[in-house]
Amino acid sequence: MNLPIRLSKSSREPIYHQIENQIKALIASGQLTTGDPLPSIRLLAKELEISSITIRRAYQNLEYSGFIQTSQGKGTFVAEVDPDMKTSMASQAVEDAILKAISTARQHELSNKEIIRMVETLLQKEDNQ
Amino acid sequence: MTFPLVIKNLEKSIDDFHLSIPDLAIEEGTVTAVVGTNGAGKSTFFKMMMNLVKQDNGEIEVYGHSVRDVDDSWKQQIAYQAQTMIGCDAFTGEQLRNLMAELYPSWDEALFRRFSEKLNIPLNKKVQKLSPGVKTKLNLALNFGKNTSILMLDEPTAAMDIPSRNYFIQFLLELMEKGDRTVLIASHQADDIKKLADYLVFINKGRVSQLLEKDSLASSYRLFWLKEEPPVSRVPGEIKRTYKKVILSNQPDATMTYLSQNNLVIVDEQIPELEDIIQEILMEGEMVDV
Repeated sequence: MNLPIRLSKSSREPIYHQIENQIKALIASGQLTTGDPLPSIRLLAKELEISSITIRRAYQNLEYSGFIQTSQGKGTFVAEVDPDMKTSMASQAVEDAILKAISTARQHELSNKEIIRMVETLLQKEDNQ
Repeated sequence: MTFPLVIKNLEKSIDDFHLSIPDLAIEEGTVTAVVGTNGAGKSTFFKMMMNLVKQDNGEIEVYGHSVRDVDDSWKQQIAYQAQTMIGCDAFTGEQLRNLMAELYPSWDEALFRRFSEKLNIPLNKKVQKLSPGVKTKLNLALNFGKNTSILMLDEPTAAMDIPSRNYFIQFLLELMEKGDRTVLIASHQADDIKKLADYLVFINKGRVSQLLEKDSLASSYRLFWLKEEPPVSRVPGEIKRTYKKVILSNQPDATMTYLSQNNLVIVDEQIPELEDIIQEILMEGEMVDV
């Protein structure tokens, strides 16, 4: 199975951390649900063109924080995740995306007011659709 | 942690060529790519591991047994693929299969058949009649059939077509799933290295680097696109400058500190492509310590 994971080469966030967060986001948004299988470490390493050591680290952290489970010989699966945790994960994901947009806006030397006005315009546009 | 291959203080001189490997321990379940320019000493390195070339100094151990011991049963634990199949011309694939199945107690017929059938290798033709690409495929099928815990492959994909190379990568990764196999692969194909390798070892003019984890190596470099050209010819960490404003650094933190102290704006930044890093290391002769 292919996971929609996109690594950013321009981010200063370590790669294992990017993988962890994106898998968490897939679980929080319901794209991955309890019991869904995850690709093997080797397969994901090949697909993302990074070392299996990095994937192992991400999987270990995810397992430690209760998002996934590995059973010997069967593979890795999505674990049962607390709904409250999912909600806080989802808001975290939105926050991260907004922060990224802010940093792009800063690069283009937009003021806070201009950024807020832009967000309001976009929200209105969305609502009208 | 198990280390199937261990090298200690290895030295070898052939005429005016000198190869030295200070210390190298290859971890079980990993794929290590041996990277170097032509003639850098990669094949000599492989041959020494197989005790086909004798080292002047130092020690090579396979699962704790010196390769120089009189008892050479360690050889049954390694499938070694040289760049050419020597002495095989007069035999057919089927005949070579019979030979290997007898030499290697771990022979796995299913692995051999699956690989040869998928790649349509004509097993009843004599090796001398085969094209270089098909020879390589047969060689791989035989080495996969040996079902050994260590695979040492010297440029295995050199003459192979793209679909076969992709199948080779997939096949090798499947073999790695159980986690008890260890692979050393010399390759000039960036794709092999990107998709397969966990660690890289560089051989540069006879000097061998330490074991470098692929992603740590990549993130120890960074490309910065600046808004303006820096006023100095070399900023801290800079190893290359293109278009006056694009800086490749091998000390990103030092570069970023300098840029922010001097109010130089970073427009964009990213980890460079692995090919570009390899290019820098091999062409500039720069040896990395991560």
